[in-house]
Amino acid sequence: MSAIDMLDLFSGGLSFLFTVLILSYLIGDNPLFRIAVYVFVGAASGYVAAVVFWQVLYPLLVLPTLSAIQSASLAQGLYVLMPWLGLILILMKVSSRLSGLARIAMAFLVGAGAAVTLVGALTGTLIPQFNATIDIFGGAVGKGGFELVELLFSGGVVLLGVISTLAYFHFGAHPKADGSMRRLAPVEILAWVGRIFIGITLGVVFAGVYATALTALIERISSLINFIASLFGMF
Amino acid sequence: MADLINCPVCGTENPSDQEYCRSCQAALAATEEGDASSIQPGQSPTKRQTAELEPILPQWLRDARDAARSTEPEDSNQAMPPQSEKTRPIASEDLLAGLQSQSGQDEDEDVPDWLANITGAQPKPKVEQQPETTGARWVEMGARDDFPSEDAAEEADMPDWLAGLQATQAQPEKDELTDIYNLTRSVNESLPTQPPAQEVPPEAAPHDFASSETPEWLRQMALDADERSATAEAGEQSAELPLDAPDWLSGLGGPGSESTFGESSAEVSEPAPAESEALDLPPSDMPDWLRGSAESEKPAQDTTPKWLREESGGASEPETPAWLASEDTVYLPSEPQQETPEQDALLVDLPDWLKAAAPNSSIFEQPAEQPTSLQETPEPSFDSPDWIKSLGATEASEDVPAADEEKSSPFENAPAFTPDLEGDENLSSLFTEMPDWLSNAIEPTETPSSSASSAPTPITSDDALAPSDLPSWVQAMRPVETGIVQPSLSSDRTLESRGALAGLQGVLPAVPGFAPTSKPKAISIKLNTNEEQLKHAGILEQILAAETSPVPMESYAALRTSRGLRWVLGFLMVVMIAVVLGLRMENFSTPLLAPNETRAAMSLVDALPPNAALLVAVDYEASRAGEMEVAVAPMFDQLMLVKQPRLTFVSTNEVGSMLAERIITGPLAEHNVSYVNLGYLSGGQMGIRAFVKDPVAAAPLSTSLQPAWESTTLTGISQFDQFSAVILITDNAEAARSWIEQTEDVRGSMPFIVISSAQATPMIMPYYDSGQVTGVVSGLYGGAIFEQYIGQPGSARTYWDAYSIGMLFALILVLGGGFWNLVLGWRERAAARGAE
Repeated sequence: MSAIDMLDLFSGGLSFLFTVLILSYLIGDNPLFRIAVYVFVGAASGYVAAVVFWQVLYPLLVLPTLSAIQSASLAQGLYVLMPWLGLILILMKVSSRLSGLARIAMAFLVGAGAAVTLVGALTGTLIPQFNATIDIFGGAVGKGGFELVELLFSGGVVLLGVISTLAYFHFGAHPKADGSMRRLAPVEILAWVGRIFIGITLGVVFAGVYATALTALIERISSLINFIASLFGMF
Repeated sequence: MADLINCPVCGTENPSDQEYCRSCQAALAATEEGDASSIQPGQSPTKRQTAELEPILPQWLRDARDAARSTEPEDSNQAMPPQSEKTRPIASEDLLAGLQSQSGQDEDEDVPDWLANITGAQPKPKVEQQPETTGARWVEMGARDDFPSEDAAEEADMPDWLAGLQATQAQPEKDELTDIYNLTRSVNESLPTQPPAQEVPPEAAPHDFASSETPEWLRQMALDADERSATAEAGEQSAELPLDAPDWLSGLGGPGSESTFGESSAEVSEPAPAESEALDLPPSDMPDWLRGSAESEKPAQDTTPKWLREESGGASEPETPAWLASEDTVYLPSEPQQETPEQDALLVDLPDWLKAAAPNSSIFEQPAEQPTSLQETPEPSFDSPDWIKSLGATEASEDVPAADEEKSSPFENAPAFTPDLEGDENLSSLFTEMPDWLSNAIEPTETPSSSASSAPTPITSDDALAPSDLPSWVQAMRPVETGIVQPSLSSDRTLESRGALAGLQGVLPAVPGFAPTSKPKAISIKLNTNEEQLKHAGILEQILAAETSPVPMESYAALRTSRGLRWVLGFLMVVMIAVVLGLRMENFSTPLLAPNETRAAMSLVDALPPNAALLVAVDYEASRAGEMEVAVAPMFDQLMLVKQPRLTFVSTNEVGSMLAERIITGPLAEHNVSYVNLGYLSGGQMGIRAFVKDPVAAAPLSTSLQPAWESTTLTGISQFDQFSAVILITDNAEAARSWIEQTEDVRGSMPFIVISSAQATPMIMPYYDSGQVTGVVSGLYGGAIFEQYIGQPGSARTYWDAYSIGMLFALILVLGGGFWNLVLGWRERAAARGAE
C-alpha cells in the first residue's frame, strides 16, 4: 500500500466517520452530531483565516507594502497607505476609547457597499427585469399562429403574475363601517391571484431544496458505499 | 351661708375665705364678686367709631325719632294691647337682625344664650321643656329657681336697691358676655379712652356708688314715687296693682308706682314710649345723663305705644305687661310669629336685646296664658328675679328713704334711651353710654382692691382676642342693660385654641352637667346600602379583579413530528437509496427533453472557440459539492473534450478555491486542464465589482502565490471583458444575482452560463428569461441531460435511479400525507355534524 493509498484510505475513513456523525442527526441532536459540527466549524475557521491571510492580506497589503518600500515609490506608498489606514482604524474597535475612529473606515465600507449594491440592483435586476416583462409582448409582433398564442399566453401569465404578486404585497387598506380593515376589491382580487403565484413559486423552491438535499444524500451514501466497497476490494 | 360658698362649678361647699374650690379648683372669688372685667351698670363703654353704623340704624329708632317730631301728644292712658299679643317682634330691624334670621333658618343649631339675649332669639322649645339640671342652664336660660335666694337680713343695712343689686351680683356666676365686657371695660379704663359723645355727669360716675351715696336722680325718683303713691292710694287701679305687679313694683308704692312702673317699663322695654314717658317724668326723676335730652324732647310728641297708654291710663286693664311680670330676663318667646298676629308697631321695632333685657315671662313660659294668670293671681305667681324680689320686699316692709327706693328700681326711672335730639351723636351715646345708675350699681364690683384681692388672676394669653377690641356698639348692646349682672357659672378661663372660637377665652364654660352622663352613642360604620348597591359593588369588584388577573394565553399544541415516523421515513429513505446505489440499479431512464436553459448552455458550449479563456466563478458551499460536481462534470467534460479551454477560477467564497481544486482533481482529473486559481475575492459585491473593473489589481496572485496574470493561462487577458465566457457555479441565488448585476455593464455580449443547484434555479430563471443569463444547468437533472447530450454516462446516471426513487418517495409521502389530512378533516366535520 502506497502512501497515496494510505492517504486516500485515511481521508476516506474520516469522510465516512463524519458522514455517519452528521447522519446521526436523524435520531435527533446528539453528541456525535455536535462533535462533527464543532470539528467542521473549527476546521472551517482555521481554513478561512489561512485563506484570508494568504489570498487577501498577503497579495493585497503585504506584498504591495514591501514592493513600495523596496521601490521607494511615493505613488505605491500612497496607494498602500490607504489600506493600512483603514486597517488601523478598524483595529481601533479593540479599544473602547478609540472605537469611534473605526467609524471612519466602517462608514467608507458601508457607503461603498451600499452604492455598489444599489447600482447593481438597478442596472442588473430591476431595469432588465422590467424590460423583460414588457418585451414578451414585443416579441409577438410580426408572429402569428400558435407561436403568437404561445407568446401572448406566456406574456399574459408573466404580466398577471407580476401584477398579482405586487398586489399581494400592497397593504394599503381603508376602514369599513364595521371597523374592519379591508383592501379595495380589485386589489383584493389581484392579491388572491398573486397568492397563487407565490404559492407555486414557493413550491418550486421547496422542490429544488428537496432535490438538492436528496442529491447530497445520494452522493454521501454513494461515497459510503464506495468507501466500503473499496475497503472490501482492498482487503 | 356666710361661712360656706357653693362652688359654681361642682357645687361643693367651700369656706368663704377660700379663693378656689377645694374640689374642682374653680375660682370662688370671681363667683362672688363677678368678673371685674364685665361691664357694669352705669359704666360708660369705650367710645368706638360707629359712624359706619348710621346707615343701619334700627328702624324703630328712626321711627321713634320721626314720631317724636311729628306725632301729636297722645293720651298716655291709651289702652295697652293684650299681653297675648305681645310676643316676639316680627323681624325687628335691629342691628343683629341677621343673626336672628340666621338662627331662625337653622333651627337645629342651638342659639347661644348671650346671642339670644342680644337678638331676641329664643332657644329651642325642647330645651325649654327639658327640666333644668344644672345651674349653668338655669342661669343662662333664666329659670326662676336658679337664682339664689338672698338673705334679706344680711342686706338690711344697705339700700334695698343696692341690696337687690348686690344680691344679683352675689350670684355665683356671671354671663360670659358680661365678663368680656367687664374685662373690656377694665382694659379701657387702664388705657386713655376717647371721651364719650355725651358727657356723663359726675353723678353718674362709678365712684358714686362706691361711696355709697345715692345718686341724685334716684333720690328724685324715690320722692316722686312717694308722692305718686300717696295720690293714688284711693284709686281702684291702685288697689289692684299690687296684685298683678311684681313685688318690686309694688314696693315702689301703689298708684304712684303704677305710673312709674308703666313709664319705666316702657322706658326699659321700648325706646319710643320711653321718650314720652321720659318726658312725663319730672326732671328730677331722670338720670342726669338723660335729663338733658328728655327736657329738650318733652314738648315734642307722645309716642307711647297703645299698650303702654292703656297701662298708664289704668282704666280698664290694669294688667302688668307680661314681659314685665316675667321672671325671665333673658329669653323671648319661642314661636311668636304664629301666635301673635298683631303687635304694636313700636314694640315690633324694639331691638331684641332690649326686649331680652326686659322681664318677659310670656315668652319664656306661657306666652298666651300669661295675662290671665297675672290677673287672677294676687301675688306674682311666678318667681321674679331675686333682685326684683329684694326690691319689692324692701319697699313693702321697710321705711326706706325715697332715694333708696328710686335706686332699687333703676330701670323704672332711667329711660333706656333718650330722645334723639342730637342726631348721630345721640345715637352714638345711646350705644356707648350707660346710665349712671347702672354704672353705680356695678361699680363696687370693680374696685381694684376687691378684684385684686379676691378674684384670681385671670388666665390671659396673647393669643386671646382682646376684649377691648370690641366695638362700642357691641359693648352697649350687651345685656348689661338689664341691670342684673348675670351670674356666670363659668369660671373656666380656658383659652380656646382651635375651631371657630380660637383665641377666645372662657367662652365655653366647664359647667357641671355639660359633661356626658352616658356613654357616647355608638355610631355604626356599616355602610347603609341596599341590595342593588351591593350587587353593583360586586360587579365592580369582579371587573377590577378581571383587570388584574392574568389572562392565560391560548396555546396550541405544537405540531411535533413523530420521532418514530421520522425514524421510519429516514430509514426507508436511506435504505432505498443505499439499495439502489449498492445494486447499481439503472431502471429509470434519464430525461430525454432538455429544457430551454439547458439547451442554451449546450449551444454555448458548442459555440465557444477552442482554447477560449473562460472565467469560472466557484461560489457554492462544500456541502453542495456532491450536487454541484454532478452538474459541472458533464459540461466541463464536454468542454475539455471539444474546446480545451483555459480556465481561470475565482470565488467570492472562502472555500471556493478549494472546491475549484476539487473539481480539477475530481471530475476533470482525466483531463489536462489549463487553469489558474485566483482564489478568494474579498468584499462580496465590491470584490466582484473590483475584479470586473480591474481583475489584475483585485486578484494579482493565484492560490499558489504566483503572479496569476503572468501565467500562460491568462496570456493576453488583463480585462474582464477579454474572457470568452463566464461560467458561474453556485448554489445560492444571491451569489448568482451579485455576479449578474455587477458584470451587467461590462460583459456586454459575453456568454454567461450558470451551473446552479436545484434549489437556486427558480430564482435564477428570471435572469435567463430576461436574457442576462445565456444558459442554466440545474443540478442533477441538468447534469443528467448533459451526460445524455455528450453520450457519456457519469455520476449523474449513477445517481439518477436513486434520485428518481427518492423523488417518487417524496411524491408518495406528499400525496399520502395530503390524503390523510383530507380524511382527518372529513372525519372531524362528520363528527361535528353528528354532535350537532
